[in-house]
Amino acid sequence: MSVRDDLAERVGVDLEAVDPLRVALYATLVGLVAFYLSPLESGLMTALKTEAEFATSPPFVPPTVEGFTLEPFGVAIDTLSSAILNSIMLAVPATVLSALFGSFAAYGLTNFEWRGQLGVVALFIAGIFIPYQAVLIPLSRLWAIVDTQSLLAPVLDITVFSAQVPVLGTVELATHPHYASIINLIITHTAYGIPITTLLFRGYYKKLSTEMLEAARLDGAGAFTVYRRIVLPLSMPMFAVTLIYQFTQVWNDLLFALIIIPSGSGPAAVATIALNELTGGIIQTFNTQMAGAFVAALPTLLVYVLFGDKFAKGVAGGT
Amino acid sequence: MADLTLDHVSKFFDDGGSKVVAVDDASVTIEDGEFLVLVGPSGCGKSTTLRMIAGLETVSEGEIRLGDDRMDNRPPRDRDIAMVFQSYALYPHMTVRGNMRFGLEESTDMADADIDELVEETSSMLGIADLLDRKPGELSGGQQQRVALGRAIVRDPEVFLMDEPLSNLDAKLRSQMRTELQRLQEDLGVTTVYVTHDQTEAMTMGDRIAILNDGELQQVATPLEAYHRPANRFVAGFIGEPSMNFFEMDVQGDELVGDAFSYELSAKSANAVEGSERVTLGIRPEDVEVIDDAAADHAYETTVDVVEPMGNENAVYLELGGERRFVATVGGMRRVEAGESVVARIPEDAVHLFDATTGETLQNRSLESADLDAPEANL
Repeated sequence: MSVRDDLAERVGVDLEAVDPLRVALYATLVGLVAFYLSPLESGLMTALKTEAEFATSPPFVPPTVEGFTLEPFGVAIDTLSSAILNSIMLAVPATVLSALFGSFAAYGLTNFEWRGQLGVVALFIAGIFIPYQAVLIPLSRLWAIVDTQSLLAPVLDITVFSAQVPVLGTVELATHPHYASIINLIITHTAYGIPITTLLFRGYYKKLSTEMLEAARLDGAGAFTVYRRIVLPLSMPMFAVTLIYQFTQVWNDLLFALIIIPSGSGPAAVATIALNELTGGIIQTFNTQMAGAFVAALPTLLVYVLFGDKFAKGVAGGT
Repeated sequence: MADLTLDHVSKFFDDGGSKVVAVDDASVTIEDGEFLVLVGPSGCGKSTTLRMIAGLETVSEGEIRLGDDRMDNRPPRDRDIAMVFQSYALYPHMTVRGNMRFGLEESTDMADADIDELVEETSSMLGIADLLDRKPGELSGGQQQRVALGRAIVRDPEVFLMDEPLSNLDAKLRSQMRTELQRLQEDLGVTTVYVTHDQTEAMTMGDRIAILNDGELQQVATPLEAYHRPANRFVAGFIGEPSMNFFEMDVQGDELVGDAFSYELSAKSANAVEGSERVTLGIRPEDVEVIDDAAADHAYETTVDVVEPMGNENAVYLELGGERRFVATVGGMRRVEAGESVVARIPEDAVHLFDATTGETLQNRSLESADLDAPEANL
């Protein structure tokens, strides 16, 4: 019995049956996983180290017992929490609104026939390709002219954001006049998101059975009822796609926030702005920066986890 | 309840500037409770006609009336019609119950309990009561088809419209549903317009059939009348399987002369073809007699090319003058071999004569019992 056979017997694998191509394949895959995960891993390890430990060990090595600390996360959460709240107040409405309006527009542009329809579709598609940079100056001029706070004053005092929480009653989340600029950001992101969401929904609505929509009309449903009772429930996978896409887009945006929020900072600052400011002055505190990055990325991760299965369905085009 | 009338209805489509006629001046009255089958080859305008009745297409010219009420300017929801689609068009996110309730919820102000009762009742009539809480995706084709029917029936409309509702079913289920649908329509007594391209469905299901070709209504008649007294060559060729045999022939006095053979006419037939130079002689396969006696009148020596055994009968493709010319059907037990020489007789009383240019019928076959449902008036 050769050494090789002996080894094979002991580990219970028939070495003859191992395909070298397969070994190469798995080795490559493991290599790719390591390649893509290493920055994340290094970031996480850095965030868990004291500054002294960070200075003495390579970034990807786990912290030692003495060098381990959760303090960077504490600092990051303290610094970012109000900005993250702002980001949520921005991203949730902007995402939902652009998905909803995109869905409306796509329904009107796809499931009805009217003169000049294709021209309007072309305008929507053109809207996707307008670069952010091209609209920065018009945008800042627009929001300098429009005084959202006074406009909304008769219906809503937006200097106070409050929420009804069970047991606790009305909880004031925050108060500051600068919250008008969050509304401005919501409107801007909604408008900027509508073309792409419309296009996504349009592709989806084209595949809806015409006969089914006709059957609903014959059953006595008007255009809006058909939308509410048939089209909307059937678009849930596509809503997952647009929600994830738009949420990530809005959450990660820095450019519009810098332009629209006065002096690009202050109490209305969103997470991306606050993260930018999470540098330790002259001394770079890499551990808090890394912790901040993780904290700021958490909500998008959460959205992916929540809508992931629907997202996969929507991308695959299933109903 | 009332008659459904199509009064000189036309439909034009605009195809890049040029006008395409989909339906050309169709007039027909469907009586209360009648089952009318619209049949024709694909693209003949039968679906367009149905969709105009439904209100899914506008009417370019003419009127559609239900009783004395003009319908063609009303939206679909105000026409009191229900339609069964080829794809069933069920709402995939709703249960069977939801699908059947939808129309009642949207078009009536019935109480929830009444709707439920009606849905339960209709579903047990169709044998789908135990499927009420399932979704369409979990049902077989035949079950989905029943749900689609149930969705239409539960609304108790004035008119049922059916657009090839059986064509997605397998052959066995299709013939079963054919009889069931017919029985259901008889029980409910609702005026029904049924579109199909399948002439078997047309023959077996309809009280009357309306044959369409190129957007023009060719004939509206009972199935037997359309079979035995076709209004023109198109109807004669479309109805019947295997199709009628046709021969293009020149009229020369009392004789028809064709490429392969000549055919002597009786005085009556000669009278009918008078004034035409070219006619088409038609004979149904089952009327071609395969005999031994070559001396009989209107008998021709032929060679058997192919035999298609169907069990109950054999379809025999015959060659005359070296070319495959026509089909004869003989009894299934009769032995006919390919290559064999046989005598085919074309009896004059079974012969149809059509004008070769217009296709109009000049003379139909004579029938011993002339008691077809409709009189010979419109021939």
